[in-house]
Amino acid sequence: MKTINVMIAGIGGQGLVMTTEFICQAAFLEGYDIKSNDVIGLAQRGGRVWGSVRIGEKIQSPNIPEGEGDLLLGIEPMEALRWQESMKSEAKMVLNRHLVYPTNVQQEQEAYPQDEIQHMLESFDSLELDALMEARKCGNEKAANTLMVGCVSHFLPISEESWMEAIRRTYPEKVREVNEKAWKKGRDLAKEAEFI
Amino acid sequence: MDKRNQQIMTGNQAVARGFYEAGGLVAASYPGSPTVEILESAQQYPEVDAQFSTNEKVALETAIGASFAGVRALASMKHVGVNIAADPLMTFTQTPVRGGFVLVSGDDPGMHSSQNEQDNRNLAKFANMAVLVPGDSQEAKDYTKTALEISEKYAMPVMLQITSRICHSRCLVETSEREEAIQDEFPRNVPSYAMIPPNTFDKQYAMKERLEKLSSHNDAIRMNALKEEDGADTLIVTTGLTYYNFKEVEEKIKPVSILKLGMVYPLPEQWLKGLADKYKNVLVIEEMTPFIENELKLMGITCKGKEYFSFTGELQSEDILEGLREAGLTKEEFAVRSSDDKTEKHVTPRPPLFCPGCPHRPVFDILKKSKVMVNNDIGCYSMGLFPPFEAAHSLISMGATLGISTGMLKANRKAGRNTPLVSVIGDGTFFHSGMPGMVNLINTLHPEDNLTILLLDNGTTAMTGGQKNASTGKRLSEEEKHVDIPQLVKAMGIEDVQVLDQFRYKETSEVVKKAIKTPGLSVLVMSRPCALHFKIKEPVFQVDPDVCIACRTCIRTNCPPLRMKEYEGQEKLKSSIDPSMCVGCSICAQVCPVDAIKRPEGGKRNEND
Repeated sequence: MKTINVMIAGIGGQGLVMTTEFICQAAFLEGYDIKSNDVIGLAQRGGRVWGSVRIGEKIQSPNIPEGEGDLLLGIEPMEALRWQESMKSEAKMVLNRHLVYPTNVQQEQEAYPQDEIQHMLESFDSLELDALMEARKCGNEKAANTLMVGCVSHFLPISEESWMEAIRRTYPEKVREVNEKAWKKGRDLAKEAEFI
Repeated sequence: MDKRNQQIMTGNQAVARGFYEAGGLVAASYPGSPTVEILESAQQYPEVDAQFSTNEKVALETAIGASFAGVRALASMKHVGVNIAADPLMTFTQTPVRGGFVLVSGDDPGMHSSQNEQDNRNLAKFANMAVLVPGDSQEAKDYTKTALEISEKYAMPVMLQITSRICHSRCLVETSEREEAIQDEFPRNVPSYAMIPPNTFDKQYAMKERLEKLSSHNDAIRMNALKEEDGADTLIVTTGLTYYNFKEVEEKIKPVSILKLGMVYPLPEQWLKGLADKYKNVLVIEEMTPFIENELKLMGITCKGKEYFSFTGELQSEDILEGLREAGLTKEEFAVRSSDDKTEKHVTPRPPLFCPGCPHRPVFDILKKSKVMVNNDIGCYSMGLFPPFEAAHSLISMGATLGISTGMLKANRKAGRNTPLVSVIGDGTFFHSGMPGMVNLINTLHPEDNLTILLLDNGTTAMTGGQKNASTGKRLSEEEKHVDIPQLVKAMGIEDVQVLDQFRYKETSEVVKKAIKTPGLSVLVMSRPCALHFKIKEPVFQVDPDVCIACRTCIRTNCPPLRMKEYEGQEKLKSSIDPSMCVGCSICAQVCPVDAIKRPEGGKRNEND
């Protein structure tokens, strides 16, 4: 199997580190080799954060080589935009329609890059959704990332059984059920949108 | 590999696991990125005593004591933390180590979260220690165990140099059972463990001999991985993650032999010379300083390295390929950088910022408005340097603000200037290394000197994830032990010590401004706890767009939920608050000049994290 490179982009406080671990667990349970990386900055909350997961037969570096990304999870749209150059032209992306404004935008020095994000969505095979709202409907908006993973699960050779076991291994008991629901909801939403 | 014994681990978790498996008993640390989770992971093993110390020096000393007592010990810290611990380290290394001793140094090439990029392999060499460099989590675990074995076998402390990427990356790790390794109690052996001359004289030779012994032994070779290619005239020497990044581009280069070093100091001289003799070219690929390159050159091995690879930042696969291209080692089809290489487009930066409800926010809003000279320190409040506050003028290292302000005041006095100064320091940093600077003030300040110290007592070491410090107890319960900062400062002989609630914005602003105007020393303790760590949430606020005059005073506090937005029926953009982020700290409402921001009746706390 060719190595699959998954990129996750968002901001501090959105739970990215747990999401990269979740994907790693599922791929591991399916029998693949994995390496992942989380890059977290200075702040506890609000700064840019990104993670990478590489899945394959034998992985060397945890870092995704330039232009080799297969899947992009944009937990925050502008953070996803930052990585579009790192993706293959046939890459798939799922974007959470929940904007968080950086200091420059808040201070009205720069506009939030809406047009560029729209352009990116059009240039790639993509799915945009309000993951927070969808996760809230499942019982907890903290499961938004898991829901987005559900959306892209169609592009990963990992069985539902492994995903469910990965949820059990990654998340504390009290949020397991909501994460299971969110993952399935994400998988269904992608199917409905023919993002498969 | 047996899958049942495999687990996914970060580098940090793997170091803790290795320590546990090796029978480690005492782990000590001071929290600093990227190594924070080593100790936090070690705490999950009941067999291991793992506690954060007041600073890295105390952590290292704790590990020294444990090693003296015959048990395996670990001290973990970020690279600059080793500077704090360097004093005991440089002398401890002279003693014959008893219980295995590993110092984990979390280096930060590219400075993701650090004030400098020092390469601590140099510091380890200075301290006559061996240095092991893992390249992934499996190696992080294995090398931690090897470090403890080598430490006991050669009676030397050993450094495990890990980088941010290794700390935070994950891979599969094969685990094994714990094996106990307790030795006899500390013997009475004054010449070996009390480092005072003449006891130290022999130790200089002992340190030299143990390194020579290790470098000539198979232990210095067995951690290396050598892959020789038939007919290759180039030997690549590399280590750690750089090796794996190299492997990503290996297929694009001409056939070469590769040596991956597990131990980068001391190097097996005879073995390396014999190997290098077989090759026309030796090329070293390593992050940061030319450490291995220089070691090879000292042995008389002709090699190149930093000519092609940057001395700063990380070496990603792309950087390595570029260096190899310059060195003429890429295959023909990759010899020219392809023209369609993408250049990065500008995307608005997203600098880190204070959380919603952060108690530091009003402090820097007041300092900005005061237009005063501020010497800052290390913690979340370092971010007061960033726009839109830009309310601080210097930042060097943990606890440095007080000494720096002292020197600046002396200089200004001698130069005939009388500029008021402000020093900002948090509780954790004050305990870590700010206290000596404070004690120093009582005899050095001139009555005309004007220094205002803002002591931000938020009750936790916040920036590294909210670890407990000596001030935390009082936030938990009456009975909990803690150090009372105002009392402590008063006991240091400082008279003007005031405790303020910075969420009473106007009152705080008046006191700060008065202190800045008044000659002498004032210590203002800001008493609000960390909103994130203590999960403080009050009912949310809301902007009335009919009252808002669009002055943006609230916006300039940089609170994340605030934003100018369009309202129906409003000509101008007006301020707004995202209720899903607001924690009701009230600062925006207090800075509003027209009372446009209010807590709506029946307003609720938001339940989000």
